[in-house]
Amino acid sequence: MSELTRIDEVTWEISADARPDMRVPARVFADEELLAAIEQDSSLEQLQNVATLPGIVDAAMAMPDIHQGYGFPVGGLAATELPDGVVSPGGVGYDINCGVRLLALPLTEDELGDRREALVHEISRLVPAGAGKESGLRVDLDRVLLEGSRVVAERDDDVAQTESEGRLEGADPAAVSERAQERGAGQLGTMGSGNHFVELQRVSRLFDDGFDLRDGQVTVLIHSGSRGLGHQVCSDYVHRMDAVLGKYGIELPDRQLSCAPASSPEGQAYLAAMAAAANFAWANRQEIANRVRSAVSRVLGSDAAEGTRQVYDVAHNVAKHESYGGRELLVHRKGATRAFPGQPVFIPGSMGTKSFVLAGEEGSMERSFGTACHGAGRRLSRTAARKQIQGSDLRRQLEQQGIVVRSPSNKGLAEEAPFAYKDVERVVEVVERAGLARRVAELAPIGVVKG
Amino acid sequence: MSYEWVDHTAEQELRIEAPTPEFVLHHSLSALAELLGETDGPRQTHEIELEARDLADLLAKWLEELVYLADTEGFVPDEAEIVLRNTSLRARVIGRSGAARPLVKAVTYHRLAFGERPDGTWQARVVLDV
Repeated sequence: MSELTRIDEVTWEISADARPDMRVPARVFADEELLAAIEQDSSLEQLQNVATLPGIVDAAMAMPDIHQGYGFPVGGLAATELPDGVVSPGGVGYDINCGVRLLALPLTEDELGDRREALVHEISRLVPAGAGKESGLRVDLDRVLLEGSRVVAERDDDVAQTESEGRLEGADPAAVSERAQERGAGQLGTMGSGNHFVELQRVSRLFDDGFDLRDGQVTVLIHSGSRGLGHQVCSDYVHRMDAVLGKYGIELPDRQLSCAPASSPEGQAYLAAMAAAANFAWANRQEIANRVRSAVSRVLGSDAAEGTRQVYDVAHNVAKHESYGGRELLVHRKGATRAFPGQPVFIPGSMGTKSFVLAGEEGSMERSFGTACHGAGRRLSRTAARKQIQGSDLRRQLEQQGIVVRSPSNKGLAEEAPFAYKDVERVVEVVERAGLARRVAELAPIGVVKG
Repeated sequence: MSYEWVDHTAEQELRIEAPTPEFVLHHSLSALAELLGETDGPRQTHEIELEARDLADLLAKWLEELVYLADTEGFVPDEAEIVLRNTSLRARVIGRSGAARPLVKAVTYHRLAFGERPDGTWQARVVLDV
């Protein structure tokens, strides 16, 4: 694309002059090969659309795993200046606080030995998968929305090792519609569908000794979000803000970007509902972690469950109030992970491929509002993936690679085939070269439980 | 005239062509039902009433109702009687509850469109988050 200018080895920019409605440049972190893939869909046009949002500062930014989304591209980052910069529900996404949690078991793959299949099976029994599935867990939903993961946590160290300690301030259950609450009520502790999964892994490579991981150590990666509750909150507020665009004199190139000043009644209500949905998501991943520990206890004994520690839990779909150089900003991360210096960042690969543990670096504070990438990013559509492989064949292939698979749907399995995603290794390399985060460990899958 | 699903990298786009706005809504129901899959649960009827800012908004809200029913009750719609007045509708939707395919998360406003063409027929477009 002729409009792209190379800023440095891994940074590209479309100038704010490229379109009359852009307020800031659109900036992408990528290498040539990833950029070629990025230019295949509308993600750069979507990034330019984000650059039109009132109050946006510096640049609309994209991580190397960027792909086309709804309104905002997935893998995008937008910081708006408070109090009057806008908040956009679409800039957070439908799955509010979709995120990743990593648990480390006190044993190696060799020590796990032939109990691996039993462990994967037990996890699949205890963690319901598939959209709309109910967990049978009954909790006080208002408390979950207000207080997040601590409501269901069985251990304090889990809460301590969670971004924002598993709770965003300012949540208000009254801002969450009855319908959203109804959708969420029975879904706490469930995985959901699509790209959500629980994966059993081993540490296959260590880059440094960060986060006390050992070579060959068994880990469990949990990828899930706020389920139907978050989806409904997003839908509700996209509608609500779409209806008041005129009132605030906001013109947008795409209705899905609908937004309102963060200080407005609509903006405040969304932020209160979003915080509640984010808290629900943290409680959801906490409940899944509790169930993984139960599975570990049943298969490997209570000492192993006791010794299973949470490395960390990160959100990759959320907007947060943060300060940079004296400016109070609302940082929208949609398919992007907070990466403050020294903080663990988890980058799940696609099913059956490697995942990475990163540590945030100083460069993220200087270049990307403390942000790094979130995953591999889709390359092929679901249909295209299904056309290339049968779910049953993929299941066999994965099992030949020594990966135990539990999934209710062959169709869903095929849609998440590894070749449907970009090369996560390349994405992570770019993030490292840009100085946003560094590699700490590589994790290889040995078992997959998919929604 | 009918509907087709157009598959993008990470989304499902629905395109509909129909002789009247009511048919657009009927086709959108059939399209969603195709995505949700078959179920043989008990027959159910749901009454839906909606008001919207414009027809595009109405189409999004209509599909959202059906997604909500799929998510909470596993409801897969078969058919509907729809009364459309300007940008509001009343509908009686008949279908089966049980095992909707767990796929659709939400109905988006992304590239949402619903309008009349010069030849008097109608077309609409809506993108689902899956």
